[in-house]
Amino acid sequence: MDDIPERARRAHIGHWVSGIAHVGLIGWLLIGPLFEVEPLPFDVTNVTTISEEEYAALVGAAASVEAPEPEVAPVVPETPQAPEVPQPEDTPPPAPVEETPAPTPPEPLEATPAPEPEVVPEQPAPPAPVVTDAQDVAPPEPLPPANEDVAVVLPERSIRPRPRPAPRVAPEPVAPPEPEVAIEDTTQDAVVPDESVEAPEPVEEQEATAQEEATSEIVTEADEPPSGAPERSVRPRPRPANRPTPAPAATETETPTETAETPAAPPSTADAVNDLLADLQASGATDTPAAPSGPPLTAGERNDLRVAVQNCWQVDVGSAASRVTVVVAMEMEENGRVVTNSLRMVRSDGGDGRAAEIAFQAARRAIIRCQNQGGRNGYDLPPEKYDQWREIEMTFNPANVGRNP
Amino acid sequence: MDRVTRLLTAALTALALMLPALVQAAPLRIEITEGVVEPLPFAVPGFIAESSGAEDWGARLAQVVADDLNGTGLFRQIGQDAFISRPTSFAAPVQYADWKAINAQALIMGAVAVADNGQLTVKFRVYDVFSDQELGRGLQFQGTTEGWRRMAHKVADAVYSRITGEAGYFDSRVVFVSETGPKNDRRKRLAIMDYDGANVQYLTDSSSIVLAPRFSPTGDRVLYTSYATGFPRIHVLDVGNTRSRILETQTDAMSFAPRFAPNGQSAVFSLSEGANTDIFLMDLGSGSTRRLTNTPAIETAPSYSPDGSQIVFESDRSGSQQLYIMPASGGEARRISFGDGRYGTPVWSPRGDLIAFTKQHKGRFHIGVMRTDGSEERLLTASFLDEGPTWAPNGRVIMFTRETQGASGQASLYSVDVSGRNLKRVRTPGAASDPSWGPLQ
Repeated sequence: MDDIPERARRAHIGHWVSGIAHVGLIGWLLIGPLFEVEPLPFDVTNVTTISEEEYAALVGAAASVEAPEPEVAPVVPETPQAPEVPQPEDTPPPAPVEETPAPTPPEPLEATPAPEPEVVPEQPAPPAPVVTDAQDVAPPEPLPPANEDVAVVLPERSIRPRPRPAPRVAPEPVAPPEPEVAIEDTTQDAVVPDESVEAPEPVEEQEATAQEEATSEIVTEADEPPSGAPERSVRPRPRPANRPTPAPAATETETPTETAETPAAPPSTADAVNDLLADLQASGATDTPAAPSGPPLTAGERNDLRVAVQNCWQVDVGSAASRVTVVVAMEMEENGRVVTNSLRMVRSDGGDGRAAEIAFQAARRAIIRCQNQGGRNGYDLPPEKYDQWREIEMTFNPANVGRNP
Repeated sequence: MDRVTRLLTAALTALALMLPALVQAAPLRIEITEGVVEPLPFAVPGFIAESSGAEDWGARLAQVVADDLNGTGLFRQIGQDAFISRPTSFAAPVQYADWKAINAQALIMGAVAVADNGQLTVKFRVYDVFSDQELGRGLQFQGTTEGWRRMAHKVADAVYSRITGEAGYFDSRVVFVSETGPKNDRRKRLAIMDYDGANVQYLTDSSSIVLAPRFSPTGDRVLYTSYATGFPRIHVLDVGNTRSRILETQTDAMSFAPRFAPNGQSAVFSLSEGANTDIFLMDLGSGSTRRLTNTPAIETAPSYSPDGSQIVFESDRSGSQQLYIMPASGGEARRISFGDGRYGTPVWSPRGDLIAFTKQHKGRFHIGVMRTDGSEERLLTASFLDEGPTWAPNGRVIMFTRETQGASGQASLYSVDVSGRNLKRVRTPGAASDPSWGPLQ
């Protein structure tokens, strides 16, 4: 019997809440104006349509205009990177930056004029004026720190190159990617910072991944929807000075905008660390072609090699050399044969120089001789793991060989 | 805090980036801890005759060289029927592929010429077949045809040295006691021979018992014990003219177990006075003697270390026959043998690292070696009676006496590699005992 009023009371909770909310709203509407304060003053900028001549005059005058008050900054659309951007001291008028990405390119720091002329003839479809401009401003001059602050005025979304009318497919088969272009499982488009945007951190070109030789169409950045400013800072991958510029079509259209890059914020500790990272990454990329690849040799494969050599290692157990441990280094050919001239003693332990030399000669004979044992021509090593056994160091330790006649 | 985090992130990222390069830069590392202990195959075509009448000399020289190498147990000659090609000229380039095909790891090419005056000229080259290169440089010997075996031994020594890195021992001689007659009427005399048993020559007659001959460091003299005077006395014999003389020790005491000092100018020996036997040093030039030990125990069989600074000897001062080492000038001795059984006749290795000895344990005799501190004792042989080890000049091989059991048993010379392998009998005309290996000639 006592549960009935309780259930009824619970069923009307919603009514109570709604009623209280309505009463509060009505009361605020009635009494609220009594507490209203005067609105905060703010600057209003009238945006009007101007002619080209007026715009040019405005641009010309902008150079002499003093920087606006910092309060102007909120008017400028915020960008995701805004918190990381140093506060500007001298900010040019935002209008030219927003409206004209190309006409007023800052002086490029790392313009690469050399490959650009090659790009132009191969790129008839997209308009090339920007390329020309880049060439015009070819003499790179380091921007003074004041100009670097221009990048502070970031658009909310980066100005993307104008989309092409149709998927850009090269009229001729695209040449295979340059060897130094990293082959990756996923396609990674060239990331190009907007020429009019100064990224908080140096955003240089991200080399395009290898052009897919097996794909039927080329997906360029122009085909992708504008993504705005990069959400994450893409680490620069400076190319070695002697590395030729990759020729994939996907990167060709981006060249002009690369030249429009402007330096980032003033050097800071973070930038120094970033630069270090960039250098490491760049060095790693440079070393990648020469570094071993593929899975390491299995224990069985290593054991096979060990057994093959030890079967030919003749130890004179009564000699002084039988107390010497030698480490022999060698280079291998892809067919499993030893590069004879590469055999060398890395170090020895346990005897004098004469004994060490004899021990090395015995090890050398074993290595050379056993590659021909059993009718084979070279050691039986997995060719797909060649990088793993391109260089081998063998330690010949006779401590336990033939000690019990 | 944010900066610290970023720095840490950067450091970790850097490590992550560098790690693959560091790992990948390391070569593949393999450790070989097992090998094979088997003779090294070599090929030695007959030495090419470079003069008329030298064909026979070429074959004989090549055979002795091959026998020397085969006899070490470290080499194995490849039969000539397996040869793919046969060199016709000493100067012709080596066809390495032909020798690799038959797995010849070393190739010995030689040539011989005989002049009208009987002068024999032998030259040779050694090739490391699988390295496609010559080991060392060509070498040439000249001598008379009478010394052709020595020339062959010298060639073998050079080949051995170039391949093993150690000095050879083929051009050396052994002095020993030649025995004839039954055990109860054994007649003994000193004899000398090549290390392989060839060219035996007798140095003394069998009119008196002779024991324990010892070569001088230069091989020109021999110390030995003779009963010519009715009791054991030490004699020194000139190998060149076989003349001998008694060392003037004490005329009324037994002297035995002599051994030259490394300088050849003095010798140590044992002198028995009553029931006591001690070790003495004698200057061979002046005849003066000096006591090195002075204990009531029997101390004998002294042997110098190669540098002449120490002497190893046997003594029963501890109650059983054991090995001790004392300074060459005498003084406190330290025991180095602690195993079961009795130890005797120690001989210091020419290398200086080992001491060979005779061990009697549980009714059997052994030839063994141990390090100079008594560690790493290894017994190389075991038989009814093995005794009296002597080292080859390179310290690689030990020769000793083995006597068979029974009334008809007789003594023979055996050799064994210091590793315990290649135990074999040394060819002698008859029974032989007490070998002493001389230096390289």
